[in-house]
Amino acid sequence: LVIGGGATGAGVAWDAALRGLDVVLVERGDLATGTSGRFHGLLHSGGRYAVKDPSAADECARENVLVRHVAADCIEDTGGFFVTTPFDDPGYADRFAEGCRQTGVPCEEIEPSLALREEPRLNPRISRVFRVPDASIDVWKLVWALSRGAQERGTRVLPYHEAVAVHRNGDRVLGCRVRNARTGEELDIEARVTVSATGAWAGRIAGLAGVEGVEVQPGRGIMIAMNHRLVNTVVNRCKMPADGDIIVPIRTVSVIGTTDQHTDDPDDHTVLQDDVDAMLEDGEQLIPGFKDARALRVWTGVRPLFEDRKQHGSSDTRDVTRAHALLDHQQRDGVSGFLTIVGGKLTTYRLMAQETVDAVCHQLGDWRPCTTATERLPGSEHGDYYHVGERLARREQHLFDDQLVCECELISRRQFEDSIRRRGTTDLDDIRRLLRLGMGPCQGGFCVYRAAGILHGLNGIDTSQANAALLDYVRERWKGVWPILYGDQLRQARFDEWVFQGMLDIEHLP
Amino acid sequence: MSPSLSYDVVVLGAGVAGLTAATRLAEGGARVCVLAKGVGSTHLAPGTVDVLGYAPDRVESPSAALGDFIAAHPDHPYASIGADHLAAAIDWFAEKIEHGPQPGYAYVGGLDRNHLLPTAAGAIRPSALVPETMAAGDARAGAPVCVVGMRVLRDFHPALCAGNLQRAGIAARAVAVDLDVGRMEANAVGLARRFDAPAFRAAFAARLLPLLRAGERVALPAVLGARDPHGAWSELQERLGRAVFEIPTLPPSAAGIRVYDALRAALRAAGGRLVIGAEVHEVEREGERVSAVTAHTSGHASTYRCGWVVLATGGFHSGGITLASDWRASETALALPLHGMPARDEPRFAADYFGPQPMSTVGVAVDGSLRAHGTENVFVAGAALPGAVSWREGSGEGVAISSGSAVAQAVIERSGVAASA
Repeated sequence: LVIGGGATGAGVAWDAALRGLDVVLVERGDLATGTSGRFHGLLHSGGRYAVKDPSAADECARENVLVRHVAADCIEDTGGFFVTTPFDDPGYADRFAEGCRQTGVPCEEIEPSLALREEPRLNPRISRVFRVPDASIDVWKLVWALSRGAQERGTRVLPYHEAVAVHRNGDRVLGCRVRNARTGEELDIEARVTVSATGAWAGRIAGLAGVEGVEVQPGRGIMIAMNHRLVNTVVNRCKMPADGDIIVPIRTVSVIGTTDQHTDDPDDHTVLQDDVDAMLEDGEQLIPGFKDARALRVWTGVRPLFEDRKQHGSSDTRDVTRAHALLDHQQRDGVSGFLTIVGGKLTTYRLMAQETVDAVCHQLGDWRPCTTATERLPGSEHGDYYHVGERLARREQHLFDDQLVCECELISRRQFEDSIRRRGTTDLDDIRRLLRLGMGPCQGGFCVYRAAGILHGLNGIDTSQANAALLDYVRERWKGVWPILYGDQLRQARFDEWVFQGMLDIEHLP
Repeated sequence: MSPSLSYDVVVLGAGVAGLTAATRLAEGGARVCVLAKGVGSTHLAPGTVDVLGYAPDRVESPSAALGDFIAAHPDHPYASIGADHLAAAIDWFAEKIEHGPQPGYAYVGGLDRNHLLPTAAGAIRPSALVPETMAAGDARAGAPVCVVGMRVLRDFHPALCAGNLQRAGIAARAVAVDLDVGRMEANAVGLARRFDAPAFRAAFAARLLPLLRAGERVALPAVLGARDPHGAWSELQERLGRAVFEIPTLPPSAAGIRVYDALRAALRAAGGRLVIGAEVHEVEREGERVSAVTAHTSGHASTYRCGWVVLATGGFHSGGITLASDWRASETALALPLHGMPARDEPRFAADYFGPQPMSTVGVAVDGSLRAHGTENVFVAGAALPGAVSWREGSGEGVAISSGSAVAQAVIERSGVAASA
């Protein structure tokens, strides 16, 4: 039993399924709606940790190569730069190069003029540039591929099922009770080993199991999606990791991240105005004119940073290691059949899964080798990277036999209908994570009415469900829009208000 | 040296407010030129004249509700314009459409009673004055409704519309018709042009007729003609033997463009000039007077000297006002001072999508005669004015037409152009 349907949990399910284990995965929301679905999309080369956290850098460097191999379809091979801007300590660059050399992060120093030819929007006053194999990774595609692969090998995947109790018999965990978030029905799941891959929520699950002292420090960070690809290469500031020092080009947008603030509640997604303002200033240092570019959306993610408080006293969550921790509660607490995997980062999801399932095999007394380093995920069998023109190319093939639902993300009616039927969902946000519906510049202004109209009647979805889908989605989009409304995006939001509140009058739907 | 042109009044913006002001000024004898970056919101708007739809409950009669509304909203443009002027302006508008370039096309209704028309989502929306082609959709009319979609039009979903009408207690069902337009998708404006052709109407009616049941009214997306909507609508009513009505749907809007075409024709008939693609780049001032604006058109700069300026460039939605990332807002053409901006430490937007949004009432600061603060000769009309939340109140066209008309009158009174004409 795997609790948690983020990249780590789905990775554990895939790994265990490949080893022939009988697996069930439960997730309280949709897959990849926790921390996984709320990050910037960077597949680390390891460069970011080369100086500060060499063991994390080393892990990233090795995993980067493996994940590129097995999940190519989820990855755009953007490459990455570390650039020294006039605002950065010039001495850091040499330490960075040395750190990369020692940790095995592939790194090549190039002329700033060459970097500026490749990325003309970069600050022209950059003095040093290192090229590293950073990439961008579509986390929803990844988690869905992991989940689909696991399902093809017999895994049961239950999204919208929240663990509400962990069953114990003496010092043994026997499984858990889950509640269907949509129907309220409860279900008991028995398992010989239960894995908690719940990230920032791991303390709660451990608490349900009666295991003390699993303390996760949730570190909240904001990310801002800018319209268009301001850069086509991942750009990092060459300095000690801090706020607002990464810009990741992913799909149709570029994402700048991030901040780091301790939070007590991992479900608190408050965006502070000062954080937004500071992030825009940071962006301006990397890309002059950044503040005048169009910002689409802001959101927060919560890092699941795990520390043993007996050894560290620091309160800055950025100082906590990015490395992960596998807690074997048999060794740690004398509770068998229960493992917690926590910490780490998306880039190392595979390694975390491997170590976890190794421990599962150990507890089961049934050793089976891990094959996730070589077995390609569904959709990635060909080994070709995603490229940004893919949807346009497909659209051109169907120009005369299919309609567009979403112009921004080039989603066709057929794709949309197939996804609704396959998912059996009435929630347009689920479809957003599959297809990127409404994630472009208009943030749903045109596509949401169309989507609700098409949804209506599919799978027997009735009018009240279609209305709810429409209203929920408009409200959901607004959440990430209003804290960052200015410039052209404010103009867009006003237009959307005319469509939704003026023309369609959705507030007064019966 | 750019060529210099001289007008009594330069109007900035070619939406309903700008075209109303310019036409009324031209009709009053002024030499008027409209400069606009592009066409206005007409091309996106449903084509109805909304005067007061929600306050905040649904308004049955705008004329009855206006007094209380104005008393409760002293900063609203209606408070400066007054109910009487508003009523006269709406009549003027209806008359312009009736004598406009679309033969026989007319608006029906007025301030006494709102029409209650279905939206494309099937909500019921109040509008004061509406195209004749929409009026039969009133929710209070008894006949059951057959909502007709066209598969080629992805911007109209008849089943959702019909489903919500049913929920509102109106007998309704949906059907879809296949149209051969040579491709998989068309928008409302493309289809409207097709409906100008009698042969297309006849073929459409022939396909639709067998799908209809006795006693049903027919709802169609607002695609019934660009140049000849009256002809298209009456011919369909005749061929189908029943009431037919249009429902506005996603932009671009055929019904809205009819308004633009009608007002543009009225402006030209009155001797006014309209220049589209003219963005203001420079402003000349003499004291508190704007004496000339320079716009780039057709690849060169032209300077327009003027005695008076009407600013009708709209709000945030049209780019008339912008908000920078450092949260400074500005009026983009003349850099006029704004009214209603939340203070730096106050919220600008609220988390509740349907809640009050502090930024929504920002506009150019004006006095009681709609003259911009800090100027002697600049008047402001339409969505550039502060105080209205048109998309929530259902007051967009009412504000545009009445304020356009009011500033025209203000300029004429002050300049004496009518007397000299």
